[in-house]
Amino acid sequence: MVKHLLLTLLLTNFLSAQNVYEKNCLACHKGMAVKIDKFFYRYLLKYSSEKEVKHAMLSYLQNPTLKDTILVDGLINRFGLKKKTTLSTRELEEAINIYWEEYNVFDKLK
Amino acid sequence: MLALKNWDINLRWSEKKTLLSFLLLYSFLTLLILAFVAFLYYGFERDLMLQNKREALSNLTNEQIAKLRNLHINFDKNQTYPRDERFNSAIYDSSFKEIFSTLNSKNVNLYDDIYLKDGKMYFIKELESYYLGARYIAVEVDEPAFWSQKVYQKLGLYGAILFLLLTLIGYFLLNLILQPMKNAIALLDRFIKDTTHELNTPVNAILSNIEMIDSTTLDESLARKIKRINIGAKTIAHLYEDLTYLTLSHSALSLNENVHLKQLIEERIEYFSLIIESKKITISSTLANDIFLYIDPKKFTKLFDNILSNAIKYNKIGGSINISLQHNTLEIRDSGKGIEEEKIAHMFERYTRFDNTVGGFGIGLNIVAFIAKEYHMHIHVKSNVNEGTQVQVSW
Repeated sequence: MVKHLLLTLLLTNFLSAQNVYEKNCLACHKGMAVKIDKFFYRYLLKYSSEKEVKHAMLSYLQNPTLKDTILVDGLINRFGLKKKTTLSTRELEEAINIYWEEYNVFDKLK
Repeated sequence: MLALKNWDINLRWSEKKTLLSFLLLYSFLTLLILAFVAFLYYGFERDLMLQNKREALSNLTNEQIAKLRNLHINFDKNQTYPRDERFNSAIYDSSFKEIFSTLNSKNVNLYDDIYLKDGKMYFIKELESYYLGARYIAVEVDEPAFWSQKVYQKLGLYGAILFLLLTLIGYFLLNLILQPMKNAIALLDRFIKDTTHELNTPVNAILSNIEMIDSTTLDESLARKIKRINIGAKTIAHLYEDLTYLTLSHSALSLNENVHLKQLIEERIEYFSLIIESKKITISSTLANDIFLYIDPKKFTKLFDNILSNAIKYNKIGGSINISLQHNTLEIRDSGKGIEEEKIAHMFERYTRFDNTVGGFGIGLNIVAFIAKEYHMHIHVKSNVNEGTQVQVSW
């Protein structure tokens, strides 16, 4: 019984240590055929600057439309449009900031 | 008219000042126009050179964009920015933030498409797809060697030719402006020369006939009249000599000899004695005995006569004249009406007269200035209005 309690406590601690990006974005994207970094570079390819990339992501996640998607037609036809986010704007912004820090090219180029 | 060519047309100080101002203004405008043309020409040549380089730079940029595309696709495997030994490059996002740069310059003008700066040539291009988020790419290469030297050489050559041409035009323009002035002076000179020629015979006839009259046989009243005629004739003779000197003699060769100045000055005082006496002027002199000057005696006589004649002419009735001859200085001081200080500088200009109540053409002191210049003498004039004038000649 004590063993079960300790394990449950450890699992809860581990789950609560995950940030909003890992918990709400990465968790689902992990199992997809197209990895999450590819989405980032497609956004970069279309929107260039940090401000515009973040704004486009926020706008799309809050209200996904065919007009705003960065996915190619083939993928859209196969997987369809993403559902609206259930996260608040603040949480979404936090998740996008983490996403940006993870994949932006500024400090990675050498 | 042939004789006129030998005459010196001396411009007055104010005229010279006007001409100098004209020349300065003309030169300034000429240089301004040339600088403007040079600026346009330099810009034109630079744009032509950049235009010729544009295609080559565009090709280099396309090569770099292709490499960026590959890097974008494989960014998870390779994160090394593509470099090329032929050029340096930099990429910027849509907010002009530098993503990565190998450029020497940190300040790149992304609004321009091709330009030169600090010996480098920059080519800017906007990407259609923003690989790695890059919206702008800047490529930097060395400025083509010697192109600016060639432009400067051309500018120097054409500039010099144009400047010479404009200077020639300016010279002809100046001559056109001067012509009426020269004509006026030449006309006055010719008039004086013609008048002088006509004066010679009658003046000599009067003077020689007066000398032949034995004044002891005349009664006092007639002797006084003859004396007045003698003074008048001498005044005309003096004027005649001045005019002759001005129109002919001063350009002739000087016959220099060692002149005993005291002896010559005393002779000249004696010559003017009748006129001095008629104005009841007291003349005193302190003349050093052993002073000799290597000079043409006729010219020294003219110099001295003109200064003394002015001292008499502008003196008051019953005034005084003091003549002092020292080792290298001759000083003539009068108690006349004097002259304002600002007019002293213009006293020696030809046809300049400040007092129309007495006769004259305004040529006496101009002759003095000519002679003083020829013999490197210095003339110093000090004057106080209503007190007198002091003329000092030093050598």
